[in-house]
Amino acid sequence: MYAIEVEKLRKEFKSYSSRSGLAGAFRDLFTRNYKIIRAVDDISFTVKQGEMVGYIGENGAGKSTTIKMLTGILTPTSGRVVVNGMNPHKERERFVQTIGVVFGQRSQLWWDIAVQESFRLLKKVYRVSDQDYNEHMDHVIETLDIGPLLDKPVRKLSLGQRMRCELAAALIHNPPLLFLDEPTIGLDVLVKLKIRQFLKEINEKYNTTILLTTHDMTDIEALCERVIMLDEGKIIYDGSLQHLKQNWGEGKQIHFQFRDLVSKEELASLVHVTWEQGEDRYNWIAHVRANDMAHVIGKVVSSYELKDIHIREVSTEEIIRNIYEEGIHYG
Amino acid sequence: MFYVSIFFQYMSQYVKTKLQYRTDLFVEFLSDLMFQGVNLIFILVVFGHTQLLNGWTRDEIIFIYGFFLIPFALFASFFNIWDFNERYIVRGEMDRVLTRPVHSLFQIVLERMELESLLGGITGLVVMGYAASRLHMTFHWYDAVLFVLFVLGGTFVYAGIFISLASISFWSDARSSIMPMMYNIGNYGRYPVDIYNRIIRYILTWILPFAFVGVYPAAYFLRKTEWYTYSFLTPVMGMVCFTLSVLLWNAGIKRYRGAGN
Amino acid sequence: MAKYIEMIRMRFLMMLAYRTNYYSGIFIYSINIGAYYFLWSAIYGGQSSIQGMTVEQMTTYVAIAWMARAFYFNNIDREIAMEIRDGKVAIELIRPYNYLVMKTMQGLGEGIFRLIFFSLPGMLIVTFVFSLQFTTNVHTWGYFTLSTILSFIINSQLNLLAGMVTFFTLNGEGLLRAKRFIIDLFSGLILPISFYPEWAQHVMHYLPFQAISYIPSMIFTESFTGDVAIKGMMFQAVWCVVLIVPIYLLWKAAKRKLIIQGG
Repeated sequence: MYAIEVEKLRKEFKSYSSRSGLAGAFRDLFTRNYKIIRAVDDISFTVKQGEMVGYIGENGAGKSTTIKMLTGILTPTSGRVVVNGMNPHKERERFVQTIGVVFGQRSQLWWDIAVQESFRLLKKVYRVSDQDYNEHMDHVIETLDIGPLLDKPVRKLSLGQRMRCELAAALIHNPPLLFLDEPTIGLDVLVKLKIRQFLKEINEKYNTTILLTTHDMTDIEALCERVIMLDEGKIIYDGSLQHLKQNWGEGKQIHFQFRDLVSKEELASLVHVTWEQGEDRYNWIAHVRANDMAHVIGKVVSSYELKDIHIREVSTEEIIRNIYEEGIHYG
Repeated sequence: MFYVSIFFQYMSQYVKTKLQYRTDLFVEFLSDLMFQGVNLIFILVVFGHTQLLNGWTRDEIIFIYGFFLIPFALFASFFNIWDFNERYIVRGEMDRVLTRPVHSLFQIVLERMELESLLGGITGLVVMGYAASRLHMTFHWYDAVLFVLFVLGGTFVYAGIFISLASISFWSDARSSIMPMMYNIGNYGRYPVDIYNRIIRYILTWILPFAFVGVYPAAYFLRKTEWYTYSFLTPVMGMVCFTLSVLLWNAGIKRYRGAGN
Repeated sequence: MAKYIEMIRMRFLMMLAYRTNYYSGIFIYSINIGAYYFLWSAIYGGQSSIQGMTVEQMTTYVAIAWMARAFYFNNIDREIAMEIRDGKVAIELIRPYNYLVMKTMQGLGEGIFRLIFFSLPGMLIVTFVFSLQFTTNVHTWGYFTLSTILSFIINSQLNLLAGMVTFFTLNGEGLLRAKRFIIDLFSGLILPISFYPEWAQHVMHYLPFQAISYIPSMIFTESFTGDVAIKGMMFQAVWCVVLIVPIYLLWKAAKRKLIIQGG
């Protein structure tokens, strides 16, 4: 039994382009140019109950559109979506009872009233019994450490405080599936850590499936074993984060700081790897494979005087960037 | 039953919020009263220069206006979603609404309700009472029942029209100024429709049936027998308008594009 | 100056983008005028003239008042209130233009758009349907044009004032609504000022509102001609100048408040 099943899912939008100038604007009054944009282009994937999946892609890759189709907000142009055994937009009201949604940039809570009033309202909306509510939410409130915030109006909360309350609000009905759209955007590191810790916990405790979109790769690294990568509406990678790193992030970066000025040509003739200039011409970075590391360092050390040297792993962030810049090709 | 309990839950939140801004409430009452005053002044000034409006007396016109204020107040309290496009479509609040297990229109009605507008209904009763006493009107016991039915009918006519207009936002992303102008058209239902020519009368009866909010139902209480058919059609029109608008809304939801991030 | 003209053009193009407005606008304005046309015809009943105006003059008055409204009407009061609430005014202040002039220019862009796309075609439709009286007197047209420009200025000034007042009050929305009702009633849009009782007319003579709708519409229907028309326009011009004073003072106070409280 899958939590999410998606088959050949597609969403097209009509996009109007306006003609330039006054004369063009007049013509637009009567006929308008439009083209069909395929925001999501025949994607298929499945997610098992209890999985935590990172859904990543650049802006406009189709992440939000997919999430909105999975949550029943948008109607797909074509394809099949089954989430929690239901068709999201067909049985919307019954379906949303089984999911929790957090939009990082949009508040679920009522701006002017105390947080706990919002909770109470949502409790009614989701028809949660007092017993279930107390049992479950006491724990959530404690773990997220929002007890002291409950009697404050939302408008008085900081972003970090608000985000924690948003998360709690999305979990009032203890949904088996949680969608998080940029949940850590704009938050400081401590709050991020707290939120990640919390997500791990509910995943373990309730076997909650979590689908997460984010720009922050450290979120993905901390939470998700699996990533689905989207580009121009198509899935370009679907697999474990480990695998992605092995294939793409195998290389290391060695940062040399030389005592004297060195040119790229000199270095290139010394060892045949990719050299990149650091802050100035005293600093050079070598991109090497793990196996070649000893060889490269040996060569450089024996030929030049060095002030400093350090070795760095390629971050997931950079891997992703490389993939988007160069396209994926398994090496 | 669930919807009733949700309704009261929202209402209690609403009252709590409103009590935080008490001066606002006062200003709103005042501007509502002014709105009602403007129209009354129009009637009074006009009748300073004429005795009859196509056979209708000043007090009859005032009675119609008083009646009109009651369904209008109910409409303004619950269905006044004139800023739907701006608030829910452009700003993307609709996304949030659609992730909750309650009918989307019902949620929006609850979120946008403005109970302070109910005060207009009291003004309406006072105005009606004034006109009725000057006209020495008499009522039967069953008039009370009909009154409730006609008021509800008128409310749903108004609600239906504005919900339909709001639904247009699902098809067209353009900001529209139809809503504010529609208030003006709504006003024409307050005057005896026989002063208009056939086309406008037809529009006000069958296309934008604002006449069912004011003159048609009020004509019954004024015992204008020639209008009775229309009077008794009021609840039916309300049902039809409202049902059609909800169908349109449901169709529109499927077209919802979401806010561009 | 070029930047302000650019502002007008921008707003014009923006309005043009919302084309549903264009179609529905004419329809609704026509219904509006139509309904008033019949309402007034009924009010006149058998009487040939009320307060010195014939029924033809009256219906023409209503039509032109609404069409002119399309030109002078704008929402800059609401926009200012909103920009104050969202704290955008602070940003506007560091831009190299005068905020109030810029808002007025946006209003003008909107006005010109409505004039071309609502009023002119709308007027054409309305004249086909109803019997209206259009003068062929060139002077009247000239006076009317001038008078309408003045009414645009005064209405915009009042909008600027109302918008800025929301800076100092908590509930802007209620205030702006109240302002709108006052203008509808006292500007002569729904009732010519001459229909009001003597005492009310007397009071209104000391207020700027009739400069917005009553004077240009009376000029257009040739109820005001010659000296009376010129006096009417003088009345408008004086108010244009007088209103600058409270605007200036309020704007200074608003800026001070903004600097101290940071919006």
